[in-house]
Order: sequence, then C-alpha cells, then structure tokens
Amino acid sequence: MQTTAWLVLGLPLLGSILIGLLHKVLKGKAAGYLGTLVLLASFVCAVLTLLSLQDRSAEERQVVFVAWDYAKSVGLDAQVSILIDPLSLLMMCVVTGVSTLIHLYSIAYMVSDRGYNRFFAYLNFFVFSMLLLVMAANFLLLIVGWAFVGAASYLLISFWFRRTTATSAGIKAFVINVVGDVGLTLGTFFIIKHSGSLDFLTTFKGAAKSFDGSNADLTAGCILLLVGAFAKSAQIPFHTWLPDAMEGPTPVSSLIHAATMVTAGVYLIARMHPLFELAPSAGDVGAIVGAVTLLVAGTIGLVVTDLKRVIAYSTMSQIGYMIMGVSSGAYVAGLFHLMTHAFFKALLFMAAGSVIGAMAGNQDLNRMGGFRKAMPFTFGCFVIGGLALSGIPPFSGFFSKDEILLVIGERGGWHWALYVAGYVGAFLTAVYTWRMIFRAFFGAAVPEAVELEGGHLHHAEVHTNPNGGEVEDTDVGFPGPEHHIAERAGEMKGAMSVLALLAVVGGFLQIPKVTSVLDDFLEPTFADSTIQHSSNDGLLVVGLVLGAVLGLAGIALAYRVWVQKPGTSAVVLERFKPLHTLFVNKWFFDEGIDLVFVRPGAWLGRASRNSFERLFVNGTLIGGSTGIVRASSSAVRAIQTGLLRSYTALLLLGLTVVGVYFLVSA
Amino acid sequence: MTIHLSLMLWAPAAFALLGALFSGGGRTITRAIAGVGTLIALGYAIALVVDYKSGGGQQYVTDRMWIRELGIHYKLGVDGLNLFLILLTSVLFTATTLWSLQDDRAREGTYWLHLGLGHTFVLGALMAQDLALFVAFFDLMLIPFFFLSLGWGDGPRAERAAAVTKLVIYTLVGSLLMLTAAIALAVLSASQSGNDLSFAFSDLQQVTLTKGSQEWIFLCFAAAFLVKMPSFPFHGWMPDGYRSLPLPVLAVFSGVLSKVAAYGFLRIVVPLLPDAAVHFQTLMLLIALASVLYGSVMAFTTTNARIILGYSSLAQLGFIVLGVFSLTEQGAQGAILQSVNHGLVVAPAFFLVGAAAKRAGGSEDIRDMGGIAFRAPILTVLFLIVAMANLAIPGSSNFVGEFLILLGVFNAKLAIACIAFTGVALAAVYTLRLFIRAMHNRVGQRVDSRDLSLGDALVLVPLVACILGLALYPQLALKKGERTVKGSVAAARQITHPPKAAAAARVPAGGQTVPLDPTTGQPVDPSATGGTTP
Repeated sequence: MQTTAWLVLGLPLLGSILIGLLHKVLKGKAAGYLGTLVLLASFVCAVLTLLSLQDRSAEERQVVFVAWDYAKSVGLDAQVSILIDPLSLLMMCVVTGVSTLIHLYSIAYMVSDRGYNRFFAYLNFFVFSMLLLVMAANFLLLIVGWAFVGAASYLLISFWFRRTTATSAGIKAFVINVVGDVGLTLGTFFIIKHSGSLDFLTTFKGAAKSFDGSNADLTAGCILLLVGAFAKSAQIPFHTWLPDAMEGPTPVSSLIHAATMVTAGVYLIARMHPLFELAPSAGDVGAIVGAVTLLVAGTIGLVVTDLKRVIAYSTMSQIGYMIMGVSSGAYVAGLFHLMTHAFFKALLFMAAGSVIGAMAGNQDLNRMGGFRKAMPFTFGCFVIGGLALSGIPPFSGFFSKDEILLVIGERGGWHWALYVAGYVGAFLTAVYTWRMIFRAFFGAAVPEAVELEGGHLHHAEVHTNPNGGEVEDTDVGFPGPEHHIAERAGEMKGAMSVLALLAVVGGFLQIPKVTSVLDDFLEPTFADSTIQHSSNDGLLVVGLVLGAVLGLAGIALAYRVWVQKPGTSAVVLERFKPLHTLFVNKWFFDEGIDLVFVRPGAWLGRASRNSFERLFVNGTLIGGSTGIVRASSSAVRAIQTGLLRSYTALLLLGLTVVGVYFLVSA
Repeated sequence: MTIHLSLMLWAPAAFALLGALFSGGGRTITRAIAGVGTLIALGYAIALVVDYKSGGGQQYVTDRMWIRELGIHYKLGVDGLNLFLILLTSVLFTATTLWSLQDDRAREGTYWLHLGLGHTFVLGALMAQDLALFVAFFDLMLIPFFFLSLGWGDGPRAERAAAVTKLVIYTLVGSLLMLTAAIALAVLSASQSGNDLSFAFSDLQQVTLTKGSQEWIFLCFAAAFLVKMPSFPFHGWMPDGYRSLPLPVLAVFSGVLSKVAAYGFLRIVVPLLPDAAVHFQTLMLLIALASVLYGSVMAFTTTNARIILGYSSLAQLGFIVLGVFSLTEQGAQGAILQSVNHGLVVAPAFFLVGAAAKRAGGSEDIRDMGGIAFRAPILTVLFLIVAMANLAIPGSSNFVGEFLILLGVFNAKLAIACIAFTGVALAAVYTLRLFIRAMHNRVGQRVDSRDLSLGDALVLVPLVACILGLALYPQLALKKGERTVKGSVAAARQITHPPKAAAAARVPAGGQTVPLDPTTGQPVDPSATGGTTP
C-alpha cells in the first residue's frame, strides 16, 4: 500500500519532468499519450491503494507514511508525509480519474497548438500538485500543495501568454490565491499555537483538549482557513479571478476550474471538520458565504453571454452548495456533490470546447445558434450535462444536491434560510443552463453551423482574441491553424462518452433509502463528527419532489423565453434594467476591489516615489546628483575620493602583509 | 578532519593577487589563477558543511593573539550561524567568477584582484570571532566593490562616481558609529568585569553591560547594519548604487554583503546586548515592517528590472530583520535560513535580468522586454523557478524561512505579524509582474529571442539546482544551525520569557528587569506568547 500510495503522487510529477526534459524529442501526439498513460497508471495505483485500505478494519483506515524530515527544528515538526484515509482516497480517485479523461480529451483538442508539450508538462504538474494537496498529512505540506495548484493554475491560465488578457487574468488569479495562502498560513499559526504540532491526526486527536478555553483563537484560525478555502474555491468576495480564468484553454477550465482545484476549499473544510465542529461560528460563516455565492453567481450566470463564463459562474454557484453543505455538517453530501459535479461540469466544459472549436475560437453566445443538427454528439453531451446540473432525476446532480439541502433542512433554525436559498438557486441553475443550451443549439443555424452541416469546419481568416479583439499571435494562441470538435476526434469522443455515462449513473451511489456507498466508505473519516443526522422522511420526499419540479420549471421557462418566443428576453431586460445592469456588471465586485486595493497601492507607490524617494534618494536632502553633495561643490568630492583612495590603498597593503604572515605561519 | 580556516579565508585574495602580478602573461593565465583561488574557497566551504557536526558549538577555531595591548585576537571559527552563509558566499563568488568570464573587460588583472579581495573580506567578516576583526573586515568589504563600481560599472562614469560617493558616505557614517560602539563595548566590558581588554566574542559574552550603555551601543550597531542591508529609511544609496555596479558583481553584492549585516545582528547585537534588543524590539520591528511594505510598493511601481530586484531585496531583508527581532528561536532560525535563500535567489535573478536585457537590445526597462518565452523555453523555466522562489511560494525553502520568521513574530507581536503578511501577497505582485513583462506578453520592439547559451547555463543551472535542492530538504540547513541559533537568542529570551521562578524572584529586586510588553506596557505573560516552544 505504501508503494502504490507514493506512486499515485510520484507518477504525475515524473510525467511532468519527463515531458519537460524531452520537449524537443517528443513529436506529434507523443507527449499527450505519455501524459495520459502516466495518469492512467496513477489512477490504477489509487484504486489499488483503495482496495488494500478496504482490507483493513474500519479503525485502522487512517494511515500516515513518512518520506523524510522537512522542517523539524525549533518547535516545528514538518515532515514529507502523506495521509491515506477514505477522504483522501476519494479525492485521489476523483482527481486522477477525471484528469486521465481530460488528458485524453486534450490529446486531440490541443494537437495543433505549438505549445503542445508545454501544455502536457503543466497539466501533469497540476495533477501532482492537486494530489499533494489532498494527500498531505500535515499543514505545511497542505499549504505547499495549495500553492502549487495555484501556480499551475496561473501557468495554464496564461498558457497563451501573448494575449495580454491572459497574462493579466493569470496574475489576478495568482495574487488572489496568494491571499488565500496567507489566510491558510496565518490560520495554521493560530492552530499550532495551541496544538504544538503541524500533523493533522495529532492536531485533531488533541483538539478538544488543546483548544479548551481558547475558543477565540480557534475561531480566528478556522475563519482564516476559510479565507484560504474561499480564495481557492472562488467564493465571495474572492471569486473575481474565476471568470477571468476562462482565458486558459478549455481543457484547463474543465480540469482545474471546474472539476478539481476549485473544489479544494470543500476538501479543506471536510478535512478540518474536527476543528470546525469546535468552532461552530466559523462553520456558520462558511455556510452563509456559500449560500450568498450560489445566489449571486446564479444571477450573473443568467445574463453573461460568453459561453465559458456561463459555465464558470455555474461552477461558482455549485461550489457554493458544497461549501454551504460541508460547513453545516453535510460532509458526505458535500463530497458526493463534489464528485458528481466533477463529472457533469467537466463534461459541459468539454462539450463547450467542442462548440468553440466549431466556432473557430469564438465564445460569444450571441453569435451562436442552431448547432443541434451539425453537432449531434456534442449536443447530446450538453443535454446530459445540463440535465445533471439542473438536478433532473435520475441524473447524478439530482441526488447529490438534494442530499446537501436535506441535511441543511434537518439542522432547522436559521438553516431554513439556507434551505430556501438552495432551492431558489436550483431554479436559477436550470434557467441559465438551458438558456445556454437553447441559445447555442436551437434557433436559426449560424453560418458556422451551416458550414459544418455541409461537412466543412469553419476557419477564421484572422484569429482574434475573443476578449478584446486584438489579433492573435501566430505562435501562441488558440490552437493553431486547425480546430477540433468531438464529432471528428476519437479521443475527445471517448473521454466525453465516459463522463456522460458517469454523469448519468454517478448519483446511484447514494440513492436515499436504497444505497449508501459513500456514507459507508467515508464513515472512518467522519466517525468523530458530533453533528447528528436525524432522518426525516417527510422532508426527504418534499425535497426530492421540490428539486425535480423546480428544475423542470426552470427548463420550461428557458424554453419559453429563448425558443418559443425569442423576443421575450429583450422585453424582460427593458423592464428590469437596473437589475440587469447589476448582473451584467457582476455586482461590481471587480470595480470595488480595484477601488479599495489596487488603486491605493499604485497611488502609494507613486506618492512615495514622488516624495520620499525624490527627497532622500535622488537627493535634495541627502547625496545624489542634485543634493548637498553637488551643492557643496565638486572640489569637496574630489578631496573625499582622493583621501579614500590613498586610505584604502594603505589598508589593502597592510592587510595583505597580515594575510601573507598568517598563510605562512598556518 | 582538520580544516584550516585561514587557508580558506586568504586563498581567493592571495591567488587574485598572484593573478594580477602575472597579468602580463595573458588573460587566460590571470583568469585561471583567480579561478583557482575561488574554487579552493568553494571546496573548503563544501567540506565545512559536510564535516560540521550538528550537535557541536563552534568548530575549526583558529585563535591567535594579534595585538596583545589592545586585546585583539585573530580568531576565526564556524558555527551554526555562519556555516551556510560561508557556503553561500563561496557559491555566489564562484557564480560571479564564471559569469565574469563571459565578457571581455579592460584591466582584467585588477578586476579579478578586487573580486578576490571582496571574497576574502566577506568570508573574514563571517568567520571573525573577534569584534575588532569583524569591524575591520566589515569595513574592508566595501573597498573592492567601490573600485569595481568605479572601474567596471554600468552607466556614465560621472554618475557612477556620484553614486559610489553616496554609498561611501552612507556606509562610512554607519561604520564610524560601529567602530566607536565596538571599542566602547570592549572597554566597558573590561572595566566592568576587571579582566584584561579583549575583543573576542567569547570574552565579551561573559559580561552583560548596564542597560544604559547597551542602549546607545545598540543604536550605533543598528545604524551600521541597517545602512548596509539596506533597510528603509536608510536605503538612499541603494537605487543609484545598484545602477552603477556591474551586474555580475551586483549579484554577489546584493546576495552576500547585505547578509553580513543581518548576520551581525544575530552574532553581535542580540547576544551581547540583550537588554537593549528587548528595549528596542518594537522600534526595530516597525523599521523592518516599513522596509517590507515600502520595498514592495516601490518594487511594483518601478520599471527598471534591476531596481525592482533592489526593492524586492529591501523587502526581503525587512523580513529577515523581523525574524531577528522577534527574539524567538523560530524567528532567528528563519532569519538565517532566509539569508541563505535570498542570496541564492537574488544572484540568479540578477543574472536573468541581465540575460533578458541582453535580448531586449540592452535595455533593462521592463517596458522594452517581453515575449521571449516561446523561443527561449529553458531560460523561461529557470526564470520561473527563480521567480517562484523569490515570491516564497510554499514548497520553496524561502517559504520555510518566511514561515519560521512570521511564526516567530506571530508569537512575539501578533499585530505586526498580521501586517507583515501583506508583504507576502505583495511579493507575488511585483515578482510576477517582472516575470510576465520580461518573458510573456507581446514581443518587444527590439527583442531578439534566443535561448540560453552553454555559458549561461553553466552559471544559472547550478544555482537553480541549489534552490531546488534546498527546497526539497531545508532540514539540512535547519538541523546544522539549530543549536547555535538557540544560543544566540537565549539571553534575550531570558528577558522576554523569564523562567517562572526566576521571574518571581526578580520583581522585587530590580523592578525594571521585569519584561514589559512595549505595545501595552503590561508585563509579558510567558504562557500567552510562548508559542510552540516550551
């Protein structure tokens, strides 16, 4: 088990280094297949680890393996160590599994990009980082994985680095993630101040004792951990980087900004549940922020016209559900939704990539329409993903979302507000998802769709950046001279088929009253949870019916507005103009952050250069070319320099003599 | 293993002198002779690190009376404080030597002589176990760099002269204050204890001066070290000084000389003047904090790549001072580790800036650079690693250093730690800005994208390998240094965290010896700020 566990972590790193070193040698699709095979091997190792863990009795299913001491000095006890337990194994399997499929998809999707090898090196490095994050057995290593996924995400967002929009999106994502890292680090300080250990299991086992009577520190620590979680998982107010991150190639959006990295916050809260349960107010903060995010993101998703950004806001909203769930004690439900969301959201992004391929790089919903006949396979995937996302039975999203809301409803009290928010969000989800599908696939066929129906894939004369319209660089930019759609690329089709299947059947792991696979599997990790789940059959039935009805109602509304009576949306916009302005401008979060942080920072820099630096450095007060030195005439300077020369010459001579003396006598 | 520190110390200077004498024999001979001296020091440094016993105190001590009447010893020694700084010095001087081989320059013999002297003087300041010897080497360090800047620097000669003059005036003021303080320290300790006058650290450590003397001596030392680092608001010489040094020399100047100042705090100020260190703790922390914030803000509004690195160093050194004056074991340990890390990162960073400027038609302005990543992938990857280490991404050794420093400050002064974290986020902004503007975005007007040459790789790859190696195993540096570092802050910790029984006994006796928290004026409660150390 030890070997396979380390292999899960090591193989992607090996793949990344190999592809990097051999970047000149690997031709054609070689790098793509190498990267994919390495991940497939990693996935197999994860499954083998899973099997050998299941052989153990339930009490022994938390194992730590240590490689070497990392920083073990003056009160720190950081080691390079991994924790294998059901929670980390669930994440390992999801991460390696989904990653393998997305790599497979990318083999074909990216094939004409001139940065093909670089892409796979980065992508493999990302998977390594993500695995490090979920397998870490102590706070320090967790922070390392946390930051590495941020760095990989930065590299892949700025993958087409000659687009200035891509590099600025990259730096934005990175800096907001560093703010998250800072929160995580500071939170860790508050925790180790009392626990005295960086190790997870030691901290959790002694938590009740070491935090006895110092709940303020623990609450502060947990809230700071939440800052880390919010920044990584794009929760308000740290979410503004995620929509911009859509600058990256579509497989990146699918892997990092939908299926894996952005859900790290959910994993973090689930992993830290023994601490959060001791600091319930921190959990409440998480739950409220999750609920607000899911509503705000849902409203923005209604009005955005960029295909990928619609899905990005949907991701934000869905992670809002998960954060709300795990913060309220719905650990298994939150992780269940994490898993099903990984399937259907990765699928939706892949399908979106296919449509963007057909549009020769254009992502604007206003320019799309009528692709249903031209791209039947992509359309089918979109429908399956859309149904799962909208929570229509029996697709996977239906079970996982309702399970979160059920647990929240059972908590009672003010949690009812979250419950209501969750169902309002479910309705919004159905509307914006199907708005997207109806606009892209129904209605009159656009020229690109007609061309494709005639058997020819559209090519742009001149490639332009979809955001900003600048002319694309010929070396670095949207995949080269050719684009690829799922209908014509076996690798893409294969990956999407598997995910579509999982999006349909994934929910069957946890059918209420019938199956409870995940509940049983994760039991050892959450055995110490003090939150009791009362089973309320009435609420269960109400929730399931309500979820299905709201989902169908949302689809029906979208159908009416965008298919049956295409003019309706314009009329509605006119009537609710201020609301539309608010939504289209994304609730003005970007402008707010700019006003509060960016401008004062830049102003401070300019101000200090104009005042302090001018006075002290360039010198009216001290030295420099215009200051006292000059004023006191060059003669003074000449004397000083002259003196210094002779002085130093003497010193040098004396020292050399001393040096020689000691060399001889030594 | 017997290691003669004197041999290691004087080898670079001696060989460089030899090379200069034989400079008539052609460039190759001069270069070869100078190179041998540097390599001898490097070999010794590596041997030191391998051979050094983690548990032990000072090792390889050479102790001779130098000037008996004044009690000045020629005493050299290695312990956990200077071990890795010595290695860093030799590594960076070797890199600078390799780098300097790439270009032709006038009067090469003299150039190598100054470089060799610089190497010896820096090593001397680090190895010295006698205060007078330390002060001598500390001041001598400046001289070769003065000539290197004047003779081979960048920019017009008149500007260089002005910049160097400014640098000398700044440093001389600090040095004179330090000289006075050093003499006072030795004389006062001798008169207080009744022993013979001695400048050796081991003798000085036996005596604790009265609080009043400690305080003014502390201020003098602090002035000298803060100027040398530099630290806000004493950095007036830095932008011009950095502009006028030749890049290979600047790499070692910024990488090593500033560290000697940080090292001076841990070697002299904190252990010998513990009461003053506690007394001025808040002041020093605030200066350091100002350095961090000011350096960061300036770094992301400047457009000259070299000056961006200068201000970035200002911020990083601010972190190091924060660690030292947290007066905790974690902080001190972090400060030493971070000194090594910063040196290892800033030297290749200057090299990369040079490489990027070479490809941008010689301009060091980031507005003229850009877009070379596509045709220079190896250069970009190396730059990326260095940039990530510079912004202390978790997983780098820089992060471990910063983590320890901030943990120390967190345990000492919570509010300052929280503000200092802003510096961590700002580092990401200015470092990535530099990386993106140099490597990404559209290709600049006069940019010619070429990848690394073999000569470039020879300098850069070993340095990056060091960064990666230390990132994987920072424990190496932590383990060897732990014991000495604990000793260096022990006296100050006695004051901030008195053992409970002793604290009770001291209150009625002195009154003023009760540690007061300067921010609140309340006695420090050891259990509240004790952190993870018992």
